Amino acid sequence: MSAPASVPAVPEPEQSPVTATTPPTPAGLLRLFLGVALSGVGGGLPAHTRRALAARAWLTDAAFAEAFTLAQLTPGPNAVNLAAMIGAQLCGPRGAALSVLGLLAPGLVAMLTVTVITLGLPGGLPPAVQSALRGAACAALGVMLTATVPVLKVALGVRGGLTLTLATFAALALLRLELLPVLAVVVAAGLTVNRPRSGA
Amino acid sequence: MTADPWDVLLTFMRLGLVSFGGTNLPEIERVLVDQRGWLTPELLANGFALGQIMPGPNMLAMTHYGFAAGGWWGALAATAGFYGPTALLSAAAMLAWQRLSRWRWLPALRAALLPFGAGVLLAGALVLARGTLHGWAEAMIAVSAFALLWRTRVNAALVVVGAAVLGALLEL
Repeated sequence: MSAPASVPAVPEPEQSPVTATTPPTPAGLLRLFLGVALSGVGGGLPAHTRRALAARAWLTDAAFAEAFTLAQLTPGPNAVNLAAMIGAQLCGPRGAALSVLGLLAPGLVAMLTVTVITLGLPGGLPPAVQSALRGAACAALGVMLTATVPVLKVALGVRGGLTLTLATFAALALLRLELLPVLAVVVAAGLTVNRPRSGA
Repeated sequence: MTADPWDVLLTFMRLGLVSFGGTNLPEIERVLVDQRGWLTPELLANGFALGQIMPGPNMLAMTHYGFAAGGWWGALAATAGFYGPTALLSAAAMLAWQRLSRWRWLPALRAALLPFGAGVLLAGALVLARGTLHGWAEAMIAVSAFALLWRTRVNAALVVVGAAVLGALLEL
C-alpha cells in the first residue's frame, strides 16, 4: 500500500514536478477508495480513508477532520459522503464520482452475488443458512449499538440534548411518525435552544 | 413480487436524502415493510446483517432490499437512488463549505442535529432488536457481540461471521 514510488506514472500529458508522492488524480482516487472498501470490511471506513490519504500526503489531518464533520451533517451514509467530498476537494466532480464508485464497487458485487444466491433459491433458504443469518443479525445489532453509544455521548453533551434525543426516539420508535416532520420539529427546537447569542 | 424500478429508484432516493448519521432504520422499516410491503421484518434484519459482512459501507443492505423488491433492476435502482443524490449533495456542500464555515448559525445547527441523529440511531436499534431478538440465545449473542466490540479491537466482520456460525450451530 505504502509504495508511492513504484506506482506507475499517472497518465498526464504534462510532466508534473517530481514530488515525494504522486499528485491526486481521479484514477488514483478510484484506486485509493477501492482499497479503502476492501480493507473496511466490518466498518471503520472513515478511519481507513484517513490512513490511506495520510500515506499519500493528499490531505492534512485538519482538512480531513473538516470534511469528516461536514459528512456527518449531510444526509446519507457518512462514509460515502466523505468519499464524495474528498474526491470533489482533490479532483473536482470527476474525482467525486470515481471516489464514490471505488468505495461502492467491491461491496456491490459481493452483495449482489450473495443476494442472488440467497433470495433466488426456489423454496427459500436452507434452514442452516437461515439460522446463520439470524445469528449474524444478532451480532449486527451489537455492531449498531457500538456505533450508537459514542453518538449518544456527544448528543447528551449539547444543550437540550437529552430531551431532544428522547423526543426523537419516542416519535420514531414508539409513535412511528414520519421522519421529515420529526426532523423539522427537533431541529427547530435545537436551533432555538442553541441559537447564537449576540455579543457572545 | 416485482416492483417497478422507477418506483424503487424514487423510494430509495427519498430514503437516502432523509437519512442522517448514516442509517435511518425506523424510516426504512416504515416505508419498505409497512407502507410498500416490499420486505418482511426478517428480510430487513437479514439484509442489515449481510451489509455488516460486505466490504464497503454497511448500508449496502439497500442493494439487497432493492433486489427483494424488484429483482436486478430493483437492486441497481435502489443502490443508485440511495447513494447517488446524497453523494452529489455532499460534493456540492464541500465546494460551498468555505463560505459556510464563518456562518454564525453553524454551531447551533450542529448542536441541533446531534440529538436528532442519536434519537434515530436509538430507534434503529429498537427496530433491529424487534426483527432479530426472539429468545434468550439471540439476546446473548447480541450482548456478547456488543461487549466484544466495545472491549476489544477485534474486526466487526469477524464477530458477525462468528455469530453466523453460532447461529447455524444453535439452529436459531
